[in-house]
Amino acid sequence: MERFENASLIVALTEKLREHQSWAGETHLQKATYVLKRVLGVPIEFEFILYKHGPFSFDLRDEIGWMRSTRLLEWEVRSNFYGPSLRSGQLSPTLKRQFPVMPGRYSRQVDFVAQRFGGKNVAALERLTTAIYVTLDENTPSQDRARYINELKPHVSIPEADAALVEADALIQAANEQFPRAMTA
Amino acid sequence: MANRVHEFRDPIHGFIKLDSEERELVNSRPFQRLRHIHQLALSYLVYPGATHRRFEHSLGVMDVSSRIYDVVTDPENIYHDSVRQLVPRRGSDYQWSYWRRVLRMAALCHDMGHLPFSHAAEAALLPAGVRHEHLSREIILSAEMQPVFEELKIRPADVAKLAVGPKYYDGKFSDWESILYEMIGGNVFGSDRIDYLLRDSYHSGVAYGRFDHNRLIETMRILPREDQETKEPELGITRGGLQAAESLLWARYFIYTQLYFHPVRRIYDIHLKEFLQEWLEGGRFSTRLEDHLRMTDNEVLAGIHATAADPQLKGHPAASRITQRQHFRVLYESNPNDQTLNLSSVDLVYEAAKKEFGEEALRRDRYSSEAASEDFPVRLRDGNIASSLTMSSTFSDGQGPRFQVDSVFVAPDGKEKAKIWLGENKAKILGEAVNN
Repeated sequence: MERFENASLIVALTEKLREHQSWAGETHLQKATYVLKRVLGVPIEFEFILYKHGPFSFDLRDEIGWMRSTRLLEWEVRSNFYGPSLRSGQLSPTLKRQFPVMPGRYSRQVDFVAQRFGGKNVAALERLTTAIYVTLDENTPSQDRARYINELKPHVSIPEADAALVEADALIQAANEQFPRAMTA
Repeated sequence: MANRVHEFRDPIHGFIKLDSEERELVNSRPFQRLRHIHQLALSYLVYPGATHRRFEHSLGVMDVSSRIYDVVTDPENIYHDSVRQLVPRRGSDYQWSYWRRVLRMAALCHDMGHLPFSHAAEAALLPAGVRHEHLSREIILSAEMQPVFEELKIRPADVAKLAVGPKYYDGKFSDWESILYEMIGGNVFGSDRIDYLLRDSYHSGVAYGRFDHNRLIETMRILPREDQETKEPELGITRGGLQAAESLLWARYFIYTQLYFHPVRRIYDIHLKEFLQEWLEGGRFSTRLEDHLRMTDNEVLAGIHATAADPQLKGHPAASRITQRQHFRVLYESNPNDQTLNLSSVDLVYEAAKKEFGEEALRRDRYSSEAASEDFPVRLRDGNIASSLTMSSTFSDGQGPRFQVDSVFVAPDGKEKAKIWLGENKAKILGEAVNN
């Protein structure tokens, strides 16, 4: 049952991202889920490592695959060039009816991340969440962070990394204010 | 040692070639063990031809990996400066030959950690959090393999990284290392997937698994995902390879539904797990390397036959089910109609059936395939890059092939009675749940 509760939260996050004009591709969902877990303390069991476009969870990738196979999520092709979006699947109404607890309990956290990620493309999300990752998961000394991001992701320049770090610090601070004690060690 | 070319004759790829130093890895004890690990567990009880082993699959993965490497690092096939900066220059750069060799050896080693009968119930038969990839990594980094890699002049850590990938290797991957790992383990068209689909299809006789892998490989490219407004590179294809990629994805769907998820194959996996949990000391495989290397399908099969012959031995019921074909039969499978009523329909049927017939008479099976994406970059004829989903008429509706296993099995002698019971009670079981 826990799996369906998690799935219900992911569907709620997908819908909320779309409400805030996000493209809601798989990368958008990956990064939003990372912030939900790491910054906002929502208890989702996915492990994240630094990989594709920043923090990435293989478990979440598999879970999205399972949710597509069970018709809880589906792809939507909305453009001739841009990658696909995710949207609620055919069985999502049943999911919401049966498993409303997680989306209800964490609706403020879902709003927080969807509002901030709504207008961002993959490149912007990659920079921002990589900045969060090196700050929180790697405890990189503040003055070394931009250079380190550039080392990890050579296609992100140092000025771009600096800008992303300013945004990351502001997001972490806002999260701390709105959701004190949420962040995991 | 004279460095000459050696050949393996292979039914899928023709001649697979390697040099004398690479052959030393093939001759190593961990690799030779793969001659005794069936690729498809007990599937040969359903598809008699499916008796092939991890040994030849690993050779095939090596062969396909280096073909992909040669195509995507060919300067003619690199279109972007960001990719040019990433890829060692062919011919003049030592790094190019170094990483080619690392890739080939990682491909050979990627399955060394497999338990007897490959994937069968690995999670239940190893300590919590340990997977066969962890054992592969440990073998590659072991003292036993050290001299082989010294002779090959490559770092074992690099081999381990590409063999098991970022999920199981504790360390960061550069963009170049990520691309190299994708060549083997990528979730769209890595060499592991290309080889197992072709090989499993060939040996099982499930012909749907075939696709034009030669065309696919020739059209592979390293492409920045400009379609997502980022320069991070991924493995993609040119427009001309789209149909070959589509056919791989459909082949995967067919081979999963026809072969890997065949209900009799699935229930044999469950009976095998039950046997092993009784037969193995402590109910699990040892993760000591020496124990792991000594344990193959041969030892397990000998155990199954001995146990089936003696009712006093632990594991006798499961062993007998395997040797006498007294496997459980499907009682109920998930389906969209019932799931619309209740997503937990299979759990509900299982719980109700347990009350009626007892836990011993029932088995629950749930399994999802590893994720596969139909979304990958495609280079168009005008040089632009687009998502495959926008270019493919097969997948453009966004649905694509999907499949999973979620079912309840019942003991063979109770099957008819249970079917009648389910027919009479299913609406009530699902209806009651909806009303709750």
